Amino acid sequence: MRKQVGNTGIISTFKAGSLRLTLFAVPLGLAWKHCGITSDFLGDFYSARAVRGSVDANEIRHNVCYLVNEILENAVKFRTSGDIVIETSLENGNFRLCIANTISKEGVLRFQDVLSGLQGRDPSELLIERIERNAADPNSTGSGLGLLTLMSDYSVQLGWDFHASSDEESTVQLATYAVLPLP
Amino acid sequence: MEIKTSEYRIWVEDAVIHYEGTMRLSGTEAYQPIMAMMNDVLESQPEEITLDLVGLEFLNSSGINLLARFTIEVRKQKSIAIAVKGSTRIPWQSKSLPNLRKLHPTLQLNFV
Repeated sequence: MRKQVGNTGIISTFKAGSLRLTLFAVPLGLAWKHCGITSDFLGDFYSARAVRGSVDANEIRHNVCYLVNEILENAVKFRTSGDIVIETSLENGNFRLCIANTISKEGVLRFQDVLSGLQGRDPSELLIERIERNAADPNSTGSGLGLLTLMSDYSVQLGWDFHASSDEESTVQLATYAVLPLP
Repeated sequence: MEIKTSEYRIWVEDAVIHYEGTMRLSGTEAYQPIMAMMNDVLESQPEEITLDLVGLEFLNSSGINLLARFTIEVRKQKSIAIAVKGSTRIPWQSKSLPNLRKLHPTLQLNFV
């Protein structure tokens, strides 16, 4: 089974020279800390080419950090087991990211349902609608704002690649691709 | 009133709620104690509430949801105004704070 959703044009393998990190599975509390540490590291790493302390360096550091943190938080929340693999590169003035992890089959259906609701709509309108819906529902636990803020406030393009080696598998490999324009 | 960890600090002075540091809590439930503190300020019925975010370097999307929820709570109370103070130096603020004005057009958004 293979299904690609979202901006499928950005789903492709990384060229040589990309940076790859693997986060081993650890208990949730520690994994959550790893999200912050990893996103801070990548923010610093990719802003190092800009003049230290400049507006651009600050912007690159923050934007890369926010993007990695949001996608990684989702990976940590929804992975079934196993490592999370993070691949990053700079291509044509854009920061490219792929975060791969396994999710459950039930998780796939729920997530694809969420993603189909994002297609063909203005992300900034969807963001406001989602905020109003969260506020009206006292039992809402997840905010669902991560992907929407990335698309609406950071002009990030997103694509998702679902892959299972056979129908009998209970888990599915999910790779989330993102392209962030840099200043 | 104050909530303080090694990563962030939130405290209230009169009807000004100050935020400082980096907040990446794991979801709505984890942000609940902070929401409760903000609601206490709202319940004291001041004329105006100020959210001072000038020292808040990083906020994840669940935290943005917290600010948005609170903005909607204030919107329900016609007699209470809300002002948000941000920093142009902190990228998430200039990107995401204008969304609060879409939720509540009379919200005063000022950047320093």
